[in-house]
Amino acid sequence: MKKYEAVIVLNPNLSSKVDNFKKDFEKLLKDNSFNIVKSEDIGRRQLAYSIANHNKGHYILFNLEGDPSKLLEIETKIKYNESIIRHLFLVVKEHNGEDSSLFVESKNKKPEASEVEKDKEDVKKDPEPVKEDVEDKSEAKQDEGEDNE
Amino acid sequence: MSKYELPKKFDYKDIDILKQFITETGKIIPARVTGVSASNQRKVTKSIKIARFLALLPYTDMHQ
Repeated sequence: MKKYEAVIVLNPNLSSKVDNFKKDFEKLLKDNSFNIVKSEDIGRRQLAYSIANHNKGHYILFNLEGDPSKLLEIETKIKYNESIIRHLFLVVKEHNGEDSSLFVESKNKKPEASEVEKDKEDVKKDPEPVKEDVEDKSEAKQDEGEDNE
Repeated sequence: MSKYELPKKFDYKDIDILKQFITETGKIIPARVTGVSASNQRKVTKSIKIARFLALLPYTDMHQ
């Protein structure tokens, strides 16, 4: 038994069918006696460069436990799956139980959209919280600027 | 003294940390410039290369 970390980049056009893919993939893993410790659906992300004419990709991260010999079978299946534009299996010593920074980032992004709506409602009640948010963002930008220097 | 944000454990998913170690054109900044210890520089390099493969970081700014 080895511990693995798997990153899979899916075709962004199939984003709506992610749940189906996840079920299929989990079944494939279970058939090969792989144990899923944790899975993170990071979601659509801008790719740093285009892969197979895609500019975005749907990232999914898995923490797995399983047999190295069975991994080959999984990889051959993945190879011929056209919905996967990139995949990577990494051997890790220990599974980090915490959420990955990518997942946290995607989580923060998604709630923002709903928070904006909430903020709009808040504006009617009291405008102060919104102002604070704006200040936070400008501070963050300044920090980034300093890093670049 | 170090002007870089160094984590306890390097990870290819911590893009914000890795971005400190690449130039605007996407090159990895050499250890003689970063001043990071050799051990840490190796870890940074490895993480950057994995992140590049997963399209989390660019190889160059000339990607079409």
